[in-house]
Amino acid sequence: SLYLLSLLLPLLSPAAPISPAEPISQAYSLALYMQKNTSTLLQTYLQYQGSPFSDPGFSAPELQLSSLPPAAVSFRIWHALDDVERLSRGQEAFLALSQHLQLVGDDQSDLNPGSPILLAQLATARLRAQGLLGNMAAIMTALGLPIPPEEDTLGLVPFGASAFERKCRGYIVTREYGHWTDRAVRDLALLKAKYPA
Amino acid sequence: MDVSLCWRPPAWTVGEKRMRTAPTLRRLLSALTLLHVMVQVNSQKRGALRDLKCTTNNLQVWDCAWKAPLGAGHGTVNEVCIDDRLHSCYPLEKGNVKIPALPPGDHEVIVNYLHGFNGSSAKFILNEQNVSLIPNTPEILTLSADFSTSTLYLTWDDRSCAFAHHSKVTWEIKVLRTPRMELINLVTFNTTLNGRDTVHYWRWTSDLPLQCATHYVGIRCYLDHLHFAGPKEWSAWSPLMNISWAPESEAKAFPQDKVVLVGSNITFCCVSQTKVLSGQIGKTFYPLIHLYGQNVAIHIQNISVSENSGTNVVFMIEDNVCGTVVFAGYPPDVPQKLNCETHDLKDIICNWNPGRPTGLVGPRNTNYTLLDSFSGKSVTFKRFETLTNESYQLLFQMPPHQEIYNLTLTARNPLGQSESAILVNITERVCPHTPTSLKVKDINSTVVTLSWHLPGNFARINLVCQIEIWKPNSKQELQNITIKGVENSSYLVVVDKLNPYTTYTFRIRCSTEPFWKWSKWSSGKRHLTTEAIPSKGPDTWREWSSDGRNLIIYWKPLPISEANGKILSYNVSCSSHEEVQSMSEILDPQHRAELQLVKDDYIISVVAKNSAGPSPPSRIASMEIPNDDLTVEQAVGLGKKIRLSWPPDPNVTCDYVIKWCNSSRSEPCLMDWKKVPSNSTEAVIESDQFRPGVRYNFFLYGCRSQGYQLLRSIIGYIEELAPIVAPNFTVEDTSADSILVRWEDIPVEELRGFLRGYLFYFQKGERDTPKMRSLETGHSDIKVKNITDTSQKTLRIADLQGKTSYRLVLRAYTDGGLGPEKSMFVVTKENSVGLIIAILIPVAVAVIVGVVTSTLCYRKREWIKETFYPDIPNPENCKALQFQKSVCEGSNALKTLEMNPCTPNDVEVLETRSIIPKIEDTEIISPVAERPEEISEAEPENHVVVSYCPPIIEEEIANPAADDAGGTSQVVYIDVQSMCQPQARPEDEQDIDPIVGAGYKPQMRLPINSAVEETAAENDADSTAGYRPQANVNTWNLVSPDSPRSTDSNSEIVSFGSPCSVNSRQFLIPPKDDDSPKSNGGAWSFTNFFQNKPND
Repeated sequence: SLYLLSLLLPLLSPAAPISPAEPISQAYSLALYMQKNTSTLLQTYLQYQGSPFSDPGFSAPELQLSSLPPAAVSFRIWHALDDVERLSRGQEAFLALSQHLQLVGDDQSDLNPGSPILLAQLATARLRAQGLLGNMAAIMTALGLPIPPEEDTLGLVPFGASAFERKCRGYIVTREYGHWTDRAVRDLALLKAKYPA
Repeated sequence: MDVSLCWRPPAWTVGEKRMRTAPTLRRLLSALTLLHVMVQVNSQKRGALRDLKCTTNNLQVWDCAWKAPLGAGHGTVNEVCIDDRLHSCYPLEKGNVKIPALPPGDHEVIVNYLHGFNGSSAKFILNEQNVSLIPNTPEILTLSADFSTSTLYLTWDDRSCAFAHHSKVTWEIKVLRTPRMELINLVTFNTTLNGRDTVHYWRWTSDLPLQCATHYVGIRCYLDHLHFAGPKEWSAWSPLMNISWAPESEAKAFPQDKVVLVGSNITFCCVSQTKVLSGQIGKTFYPLIHLYGQNVAIHIQNISVSENSGTNVVFMIEDNVCGTVVFAGYPPDVPQKLNCETHDLKDIICNWNPGRPTGLVGPRNTNYTLLDSFSGKSVTFKRFETLTNESYQLLFQMPPHQEIYNLTLTARNPLGQSESAILVNITERVCPHTPTSLKVKDINSTVVTLSWHLPGNFARINLVCQIEIWKPNSKQELQNITIKGVENSSYLVVVDKLNPYTTYTFRIRCSTEPFWKWSKWSSGKRHLTTEAIPSKGPDTWREWSSDGRNLIIYWKPLPISEANGKILSYNVSCSSHEEVQSMSEILDPQHRAELQLVKDDYIISVVAKNSAGPSPPSRIASMEIPNDDLTVEQAVGLGKKIRLSWPPDPNVTCDYVIKWCNSSRSEPCLMDWKKVPSNSTEAVIESDQFRPGVRYNFFLYGCRSQGYQLLRSIIGYIEELAPIVAPNFTVEDTSADSILVRWEDIPVEELRGFLRGYLFYFQKGERDTPKMRSLETGHSDIKVKNITDTSQKTLRIADLQGKTSYRLVLRAYTDGGLGPEKSMFVVTKENSVGLIIAILIPVAVAVIVGVVTSTLCYRKREWIKETFYPDIPNPENCKALQFQKSVCEGSNALKTLEMNPCTPNDVEVLETRSIIPKIEDTEIISPVAERPEEISEAEPENHVVVSYCPPIIEEEIANPAADDAGGTSQVVYIDVQSMCQPQARPEDEQDIDPIVGAGYKPQMRLPINSAVEETAAENDADSTAGYRPQANVNTWNLVSPDSPRSTDSNSEIVSFGSPCSVNSRQFLIPPKDDDSPKSNGGAWSFTNFFQNKPND
């Protein structure tokens, strides 16, 4: 968490660096670090949800959440995106992810109250998503772009969601968290190449 | 037959049970009436009524209907009249007629036709028993559903039957389900009418979730009116009402998040617009039960306990999934081991064990409520996660002044509840907190107060506290005290009977009366009690100094139990009858004082002082009471102790003192002393200073009015050891047959025990005898004398042999063993008579022999001359002899040498030597192999080397038989090659035929190496110095060492370089320093030989 804090520090400082290389590099490092843990999060999550979620090789790509933008994008479209679009889409996604991870954490504290490992991993993932979000904002500031306002992506959350819906919701969120992190690594690598230190 | 249809009996199934004897009779009557009516009707030939049926739904009006007779419509009927007292008539309406209820009994009813049928009328008999009671159709007020619980709620009222007060009504409710409108449930429901419109409720839970299919409900009733004689029938079914789920676009599975008991059967369905492919619960797939549309269900029996997040039920749809979660668990177990107690009488703490896990967590976890029925207060315990193997705990705040509690713990979860209860008098269940703030305060040196704090409201009870008192080197002591409890306060107790100036450790724990549990021990508190004056004076002794002028006072430091503090100093004073001499203060670490006394008779007193004050004085008289009758005794100890005993002495009044010292120490000798009471007769002295083998003096004093008298003197050893030295002894006198030995005492330090005697050994033996027999073997020639009289210092040994060496050994012994030995050799004196005889006899013999010899020699002098001195020829006549004259003179075998024109150059060497064993090749490698280098370096320019290789001839002159036996003497003749002309020979001239070149053939060749040759030469040089070669050997030329002749030593024929004939002999004993060239030559050839040999 110290590592994370050091990455978050530039955010807190009002005098953001003028060169975009440093925030890009920091964001890239964080994204790489996050990437190492995304599959663990997904596996841990599924393990606690019971069969068939916990069955080996479980996958349900057809499940999607309308409130969470999917990370999957065709290469042609992704390639055609400019830096601003890439950054704003990533920011939008991680904003949604951080809110959804909070929701999933709440759901799991009902379903698996005696599983501190899972709850801690979800909390950590949420903190990292917020960290990356902050780093992306720093990049946009450094590039002189307007930072989009924070939106309530969740909107009216169906609090009466059934346990099954909550499990599925959590699955989609942890899965998309991994996909979006992969995409962020690629996005930031591209930016990093464009703005060398 | 037709009419019988109208008299259909009511539904017996409903009223059957209530039918008793009277209704049965009534039924029989009805049957008779029916028969009667039939007779009546059949008797009417004209205008007969068909299918007459009378019913009532309110008991007020009977409604009768029939079919018009053949050929006549209802319109033809004018009125219906009842032939009773009033003869009332009722108009006919549409084929039926309403008649007010008639009193019981038969009534003739006349149907008057208006016209036609010949203006006639028809009659029938009407009785209440012929009228059926059919209630009005009931009406469903509402039908609603709770889809989450799959429950239907039905309401209706009893308006349709309201007229029949206090009658019982049976309701029948049916539930139907799509798609085939099959009857799912049919229940009856009894109520009693109370005359008011009452709404009835009915609730039903479906096994199939209500969302899965449309459910229909209908109701009818049956009125069991006691006072109605006619048959009763079910009402018609009410119109069906239905409950249906408005399906969403997305597929959904039901029931959702249901909590069920483990082992129950449950049905899940999926409401879907598209085709459902499969259904599974957990990992297991179940067969699909098709409902209507695409909806399907699966049914599981005996569901097992779920994991924390529930059991997943998943239906796979073509492009989606739908699923739900079911939580299978147990209702809460009865809380076990419920136990309530209090620490402070403010809060009750209840512990319990949850028992069997429910398998349900989170919002479904068990919550516990603790209720006190006396005060009505309750507290609730709720946790999301399940505690495993942990006891649950609830804190219940005590209302003031309540002692008895009836506590009920209720466990609830969605599957049920259970409870356990406990009735406690809380004042009997007090386990106090750990006492804190333990403090100790001094009152005096033996009394302290202990105070501590104990939180809690103990105002109404007594506390029992236990104080643990511990001092070093002793067992802990426990004191129980009972204190009146107070509210939240400190407690104070007095602890007495302590020792002054002692470090105590106190701790405390408390319980209540009656005892329930001890609190934990408080932390320990160390405390040093204050000092008190020493309880006794020091143990004192005195000794006069060696010069007898000063008195030395000794005293022992007081033991800690008597010192009662830190001793700072001692006051020593002496007093006589007249005066008190000055006191002197001695500071603590010193425990002796020296007083210069002018007189002998003083009383010395010693006082120890600590900060609290002085001790009582210890007094001792300076003078010793004389004792004339004193004996010295011996004592030996055991281990590190020595036991001394004495007879009781009535004169001794104060005590006995035993002092002891090391006997070898100088005066005043005092190691230590010990006081024993006057009534004892023995003492065991023990000291770490005692060493085995050391002599100690013990002195027993008896005390009489502060004066001491020496009673006994004892020499003792803690343990006797063997002496470490032998006694020094000397021979005082020696004669031909006896020796007188005298020895000295062994010093006490070296004796190491009480001397018990000496052992004296003697035996014949010389000083140089390498190994004397050990004394302990007890050999017969060792004589031993045991001298047990330790005062004896001399010993005469008699019966010895004259002029013989004796070995004398003396050893001392104690009870600890034998000491070392000291030995001495003594030779006894000669016997003088024998000596004289031994001299005289040889002298006499010699004189006689001399005289006889002289006489004989004189008489036979001529014979002697001829025999011993014959005439000797003149050696000058021997021409050939060139040798020493003496040799020629003694020899009878003289030879005359032939004269030759050539100068004799043959040398004959006569040699006596021992046979050398056959020499192996390997033995000569090393000395030979290095030789060539030496030669090449020493004589590099000497190309022409002496070609002298001695042909060795071995001639045996000893016994030939001895030839085989090694080591016999041999005479060896060695022929030496001609030395006339040195032959210059090139080194490369090697291929000379040995046979052609041979000038001399030796009879025998002796293969011998140069080393042997050298040895032989040396020997010759030493032993036969008389034989000298006549030629100068230095002039000889040697054969080249590497000449083929030398190398060819294997050949039988050895050739020599010289062409000269050999006819002269010469003895050759070459000088030592001339050996090297020859030896080198030999060595060289052997080297070559060895170099060649491997090639052979």
